[in-house]
Amino acid sequence: MVSRCRFNQISGGGVRVQASNVSSTATFHENWENTKMSQSLRPYLKCVRSSLTAAITLSNFASQTAERHNVPEIEAAKSPEVLLNPLTVSRNENERVLIEPSVNSIRVSIKIKQADEIEHILVHKFTRFLTQRAENFFILRRKAVRGYDISFLITNFHTEDMLKHKLVDFIVHFMEEVDKEISEMKLFLNARARFVAEAFLTPFD
Amino acid sequence: MSNAEQPSPKEPTSLCVCRSWRGVKEESPEPRLHCEAPLPSSTASASPGLHLSFLPRLCTLPINSSQILIINMLLLEYHNLLLKSILTERFNSATAASIDQVISDFDGVTFHISTPETKSKILVSISVKCYPDLLRHGAQQVLEREYGQHITETETGYDFSLMVDLENLPAEQEAKEDLVRRISLLKRNTMAAPFEKAIDEHHRLAEASKGFNPENAPTGEGTEVMVIRYREEEAMYIQASHDRVTVIFSTVFREETDRIFGKVFLSEFVDARRRAIQNAPQVLYRNDPPLEIRNIPGVKDDGTGDIGYITFVLFPRHLTPQRREESISHIQTFRDYFHYHIKAAKAYMHSRMRRRVADFLKVLNRAKPEVEESEKKEKKTASGRSFRVQT
Repeated sequence: MVSRCRFNQISGGGVRVQASNVSSTATFHENWENTKMSQSLRPYLKCVRSSLTAAITLSNFASQTAERHNVPEIEAAKSPEVLLNPLTVSRNENERVLIEPSVNSIRVSIKIKQADEIEHILVHKFTRFLTQRAENFFILRRKAVRGYDISFLITNFHTEDMLKHKLVDFIVHFMEEVDKEISEMKLFLNARARFVAEAFLTPFD
Repeated sequence: MSNAEQPSPKEPTSLCVCRSWRGVKEESPEPRLHCEAPLPSSTASASPGLHLSFLPRLCTLPINSSQILIINMLLLEYHNLLLKSILTERFNSATAASIDQVISDFDGVTFHISTPETKSKILVSISVKCYPDLLRHGAQQVLEREYGQHITETETGYDFSLMVDLENLPAEQEAKEDLVRRISLLKRNTMAAPFEKAIDEHHRLAEASKGFNPENAPTGEGTEVMVIRYREEEAMYIQASHDRVTVIFSTVFREETDRIFGKVFLSEFVDARRRAIQNAPQVLYRNDPPLEIRNIPGVKDDGTGDIGYITFVLFPRHLTPQRREESISHIQTFRDYFHYHIKAAKAYMHSRMRRRVADFLKVLNRAKPEVEESEKKEKKTASGRSFRVQT
């Protein structure tokens, strides 16, 4: 499987890169690079990481359309001039990440791999489980963007409270773990089913 | 992703249980490793409670000892635990007491145990949804054979009643225990009638076909199909023929998750025979009605796949006089066992997701910069006034 990182129309001002953060994540980066990972996963996550780092460059921005309002512009979408170009990073047709930046907020949507019915239902259950606890996960969006399984909404207030590179770490960690978790649950289900079936049929033997 | 295909070596704990199960004598240090989901534990029987009977019942089977512990937690028992414990207590206590208790069991079966006249006379009644179906297939004879002189006038609102007189109990302890055992198997015996009829029919057909040579032997066409509508939307279909007895369960899945989990479980039931247990009954699974029952009124194919049909083919080796009782009991528990394990798997997934979510939260909280201890403390000015640093 060849990794395919597709950048949709990155215009000059579309993604702003802040150099200062790169050095602070270096140690984590190295550890992360060394862990065992499939060949196409690594560049995929790496690309997501650098795109996110670049995109999370947020500043406080009061609403231009409503007085004394301060809303995430990516959600309100009332002033098109503060929205930046969205970006899709895709590993294959089933796994992709959509990053939609704006001046004071960024929306990250993830499509998780679902190879069959079982994985589909497990992903559905898992994401529902998470979104029901969205309050605890400050950056989790309660509803996923259409076509994706789970969305995060990071505003300038989050980046003020929390360390930016750690937020990026969290999202990348989430992407890694969620796939692992889904496949482990699937394996467990099969193992349990086999065990249960054999236990029932043995007394007939 | 990378580990979607091959199992990761560290995690799936259930695998080690499976290994010990296959007869390799390596008991995992903690055989209940995978029991995050509430598998029935032996403590269930110890706690007295009103509705114990919904708890999975425990079962002991003649299998080698290293496996018994695991099996105990998996299989359901055939008798009703609460009925058994009440009767055991009553039979062995010196003082009589009045009882009035309704006990529910699987498949909407209800027992009523009471002392209507005197404290020494215990009335046990059972209500079964499919009693008319069972009567048609000889339930009365089976119950008369099993319970004989204990049968009494049926209580209103129930289908069948037994009366036990505490003053007329058998003297020996063993006979008492046998009576308790027989009464606690009331549901099993009530439901057993059509199975017994099918097995008798099978033996008769097998006897009749002995005279034929393979060419002109009667074809696979068996006798009429017995329909037992034992639940609101679900039924059992039993058919006897000269070389087998076919039992078909129809089962309805209430939601998408159940349907998919059920499919995984059933495909393992189908494969188990091929893989490990050669002599087990053949299991088949499909979403449209099998040919045997397609013409029966009430069997419909809605095409949605919400109804599954599971066919068990019992071979003559399961139907010998020594084994038939066990086979009848065991196959009756199939539906409850199957659904119980779907629920247990779901419960495990739930607890697992809960744990994983907690892990994610921990990672997210790392993103919050730690407030340094010195900043938290109150600071004092030279004049002695204290103030807190605003964050």
